[in-house]
Amino acid sequence: MDFMLFLIIIIFLVAIEMAIPFLAKRTTVFGVFIPDEFVRDSKLLSFKKMYALLIFILGLIAVSIYLFWMLKGNSTEAFQVLLGPAIQFGIIFISTALYFYFHAKTLQRKKAMRWGDNLKQVKMIDLTVRSQDTMLPWYIYLLPIAVTFGVIGYTLLKYNMFPEQIPTHWGPDGKPDAFTVKNPFSVNALPLIMFTMQLMFLGINEMTRRSGIKLSATRPDASRVRQLTLRKYSSWFMFLISVLITMLFSFLQLQMIYPDLADGVVSMALPIIFLLIVMIGSIIFAVKVGNAGENVGFQSGSGVSDLDEDQYWKGGLFYFNKNDPSIFVEKRFGVGWTLNFANPIGYFIIFGPIVIIILISLFA
Amino acid sequence: MIIQIEPQSDVPIYTQLTNQIIEGIARGYMHPGDSLPSVRAFAADLGVNMHTVNKSYHELEKKGIIRIIPKSGAVINSPVEISNNSERLLEEFKPMIAEALVLGLDKEQIQELVTSLIQDIKGKP
Repeated sequence: MDFMLFLIIIIFLVAIEMAIPFLAKRTTVFGVFIPDEFVRDSKLLSFKKMYALLIFILGLIAVSIYLFWMLKGNSTEAFQVLLGPAIQFGIIFISTALYFYFHAKTLQRKKAMRWGDNLKQVKMIDLTVRSQDTMLPWYIYLLPIAVTFGVIGYTLLKYNMFPEQIPTHWGPDGKPDAFTVKNPFSVNALPLIMFTMQLMFLGINEMTRRSGIKLSATRPDASRVRQLTLRKYSSWFMFLISVLITMLFSFLQLQMIYPDLADGVVSMALPIIFLLIVMIGSIIFAVKVGNAGENVGFQSGSGVSDLDEDQYWKGGLFYFNKNDPSIFVEKRFGVGWTLNFANPIGYFIIFGPIVIIILISLFA
Repeated sequence: MIIQIEPQSDVPIYTQLTNQIIEGIARGYMHPGDSLPSVRAFAADLGVNMHTVNKSYHELEKKGIIRIIPKSGAVINSPVEISNNSERLLEEFKPMIAEALVLGLDKEQIQELVTSLIQDIKGKP
């Protein structure tokens, strides 16, 4: 089972990495801003194709290595457990290195071709765009939170039925493999972690709403569609994750009270189903957002280009702009959001929950 | 209503914002009673400092074009609500007219210029 799981994750990882240059924002190629009229440059296209091809070859090698070691059969279990994550990290590491290589190549090309030297740089906003925003309202996120309170209440009600040893860690088969002593706090560790995550998703949703809807001056309609689609699907996707986590954690919690709640197959299948839904969800998200606005007519504004903000994007990946009140901005390389690292609130919303979760698990 | 600014222009961004909002109202893209976006949303969408937008809103408020209502935001005033500003406008027109005269334009040319600008903003009659 672990074997299948790791294989699926590796294939998923490779497929996503291959598609990123083609799904990323149109006017940024490998994290470098390119004025709209030059994005079809054949050299840039060949960079994207080369990147995808190299990732594909990397993926083939990774899968072969994995299959080879797994099918040889005489490796120790510890080795097998480490091999999967090691290969995943390897893929991420090498693809990041490839990214930086092509980032540098794209920068060189932009400089050599003097793209945008004669263009007037403008910024555009639509004062009515906020009324078209279709993100989920914050109170929808209260639904899973209500479930959490129900679970906590039920836990305290059935306190006597909890085992003396409270599980704190579950293996890949869905069975607990680490325990702690029972007290009113430790029996509720799981719901409290779940609550922290639900609050984090609510917070991210609201911070995303307050973040800017950035339009492109050369493609106002297409960029509006893309921004609104990104916002809408981000908030749906986060709600889906929040609901899934709630279901999984509530199930694990109830299983402590009723150990026979589900047979081994179900508790083994549950994390895998969870993972599959998340992966399928993120593929749908990436494709929906990546293609949003592509069919809206191209509006070539001659002599005008969007503002070149390369100076705010360190390595094309990290956004530092202390003037921009946005907490999240659309990624340049990839589909989704990245933090405005110049804004301290962003750190709280991302790292705060992680610290709280670590504290809960330490003291439970 | 679309607003387009040039961050690299010599004209400060807040002045560009003020001018474009005024022009938008004159062109009928926005009407008295409409509200402008919150300072935070406006600044986030534009990717500029909130002070910049704030400065522009205060300038518009000083001119009497909008009123800032705590918690509900900035609302566009109707012309009747705007107190008589002709004296201020006179002061502001004066150097421009003087400059036109110095540059050799005569009365008819200046009037033609003004008429064509009004037509451009209000649309041809």
